[in-house]
Amino acid sequence: MSNVIPVLNTLPTSVVPADVEFFDPPMCCPTGLCGPALDQTLLDVNEMILALQRDNLRVERYQMAGNPNAFLCNAEVMKLVREKQMEALPIIVVNGKIIKSGVYPSLDEVRAALNGAK
Amino acid sequence: MTQFIFFSGKGGVGKTSMACTHAVRYADEGKRTLIVTTDPASNLADVFEQEIGHQVTPIAGVPNLSAMEIDPDKATQEYIDRAMAPIRAAFPLQIVQVMEEQMSGPCTAEVAAFDRFTDFLDVPSDNGFAFDIVIFDTAPTGHTIRLLELPAEWSESIDAASAGSGQTCLGPAAAIQDAKHKYERALAAMRQSDQTRFVFVLHPEAISIKETRRAIDELSKLEIKNFNLIVNGIIPPEGARNLLFAARAEMQARYLEQIDREFAFSQQRMTLLADEIKGAGKLRRVGKIFFDGEPASKLEDAARVPLQNAAFASSLDDVRARLSPNGHRRTVFFAGKGGVGKTVASCVTAVWLACQGHKTLLLTTDPAAHLGDVLDTPVGDEVTALRGQPNLWAVNIDPKAAAETYKTRILDDARQRGRPESAIKVMEEELNSPCTEEMAAFDKFIEYASQEEWDSVIFDTAPTGHTLRLLELPVDWSKQIDVKVFASVDGTAADDVAKERFGKVIEMMSDPEQSTFAFVMYPESTPILEAWRAAQELGTVGVHPGLVVANMVIPPEQTTTPFVQSRRIMQEKYLGEIGERFGVPLVQIPLLPREVKGLKMLTELGEQIYGAEKVVA
Repeated sequence: MSNVIPVLNTLPTSVVPADVEFFDPPMCCPTGLCGPALDQTLLDVNEMILALQRDNLRVERYQMAGNPNAFLCNAEVMKLVREKQMEALPIIVVNGKIIKSGVYPSLDEVRAALNGAK
Repeated sequence: MTQFIFFSGKGGVGKTSMACTHAVRYADEGKRTLIVTTDPASNLADVFEQEIGHQVTPIAGVPNLSAMEIDPDKATQEYIDRAMAPIRAAFPLQIVQVMEEQMSGPCTAEVAAFDRFTDFLDVPSDNGFAFDIVIFDTAPTGHTIRLLELPAEWSESIDAASAGSGQTCLGPAAAIQDAKHKYERALAAMRQSDQTRFVFVLHPEAISIKETRRAIDELSKLEIKNFNLIVNGIIPPEGARNLLFAARAEMQARYLEQIDREFAFSQQRMTLLADEIKGAGKLRRVGKIFFDGEPASKLEDAARVPLQNAAFASSLDDVRARLSPNGHRRTVFFAGKGGVGKTVASCVTAVWLACQGHKTLLLTTDPAAHLGDVLDTPVGDEVTALRGQPNLWAVNIDPKAAAETYKTRILDDARQRGRPESAIKVMEEELNSPCTEEMAAFDKFIEYASQEEWDSVIFDTAPTGHTLRLLELPVDWSKQIDVKVFASVDGTAADDVAKERFGKVIEMMSDPEQSTFAFVMYPESTPILEAWRAAQELGTVGVHPGLVVANMVIPPEQTTTPFVQSRRIMQEKYLGEIGERFGVPLVQIPLLPREVKGLKMLTELGEQIYGAEKVVA
């Protein structure tokens, strides 16, 4: 049986990148609740995303297992990943530009980047 | 339209034999038949006496019949390979390794096994499926229920996920959207009474009846309706010409009445045979007894092996040395397929240790637990001292209740940290995933396993497959933590605490001075093979058997009739095999005239098995 997980063969949902993109390190689930220990940082990130969404911004989160193509389609992201491997992650992209790598930014940092880019 | 038949029931009731008997009969009637097992400790290959494995395999000597064993490990690997292919091709090695480690977690195994299982139910109706009948020799009750419960839970968690964060534990919502329809179709097929039938195999015994009731109730909640019963192991008249078997036949008669009263489903009965069911020829003859009502007595090939009545038992000192705390605490794990007597073995042992003056905790994580039945006193989810037995405490870890407590604890903590309701909602969604129960039960397991106050801890562990996953978890998890290089400071601190905790448990389980793994089985071919496989699998995580327990051993003095002799001869062959295979001390629990119940009977049985005098450490 050659079942193919459909998402692996699809490109990111739209050609225009989202306002804010999170390229996450591998994890079981985005809040870290599935891991053996709770990671408060991941909960903070989750809140940040909800806050950005309330500002009507388009936010995407990509995990390698589910969205390898999202990584592959972003040359800058892949370059960082190949150079620094795990240490590169997470990578945060605002309006197509990498603003942070290796650590999650604060909500203020993301907002500043959003404003600065305009 | 393809017909689906699920065989369910506690392990050891003859579920596989009955499923195979049906499969052979249907195939001989000219129906294209497939028998599939989802049991992690499958024994289909033993019954058909041929290799089967993880693909549809024709059965020799039975035209129209094929079989397949869904190996959960292989299913997991296939699933991982499918998901990892694009990653292996494009990402650097370190990342590939981290991803593979992450995917070896328990969530992936559950998803993968279920995924394969539904492949057979999800039949495209228009393009003619190759089989007229698909028979599922499902896993033991507790596990089966969880497996069947998944579709409902998943549909919920998938819906919630699409509405919320867009992701669940299972991966991106888009990825499982396709699978969701597959699972919904699978459940729809299971609900079709004209297409799907659930056959419950049970013994005329209290615990077997209770578990059947419980399993049927659970399935009824999922709107499954078409149930049949097969009451197996009924002692024939020629068997009852012996005091012990006559007493058991009387006990059976009472339970047969109870089954008639309590279950409104169509019911068939099957005689206890003097020997085992193996090979296509034997399955055809069993079919003649079961379907055509031929007397079983004609079938028996009088055993030509002489009775030995040898004792087979190991020295009491050797046995006790592996049970008694020896200057430090000892944890005894009773492992084995559901229904082979783990609960009885653990209760007898716990009562004996308590009588010896050791402060003993008896606990279970088995969703189908019946500690309370055997102890004849209710056992709750809090550690309670047992009335009438000094030094003995007991606790029943209900995975569902544990999951609720775990959820509440995490959400309360999040609220205290001032997280907004919107974030709490997302967390709640993720905590509703099927993995939470398993994790929560495990969390409890560690909590008790790390308590220092006990001299002895006795685990009445869950059925084999489940047990293995549960016990392998700590190793998987510490591996996962090892490679979790991205954690924040806060997270790293939490990981260190968790890692230390898991490390201690792993160390405890693999140290024969601190832990004894006792494998419980009937002296019969299939249960021995299953226990052996389970032991080998535990061996891969550095845990080795310290003791074997043979249950329901016919006492030599009871071999007064040909029927009992024939069964005892069969048992002797296998008692010998148990000794050879495992090479560790053997404990025998005799076949008793009635079910083990209550402290008095447990105390007496304990003295009979382990000796009455105090062991001086």
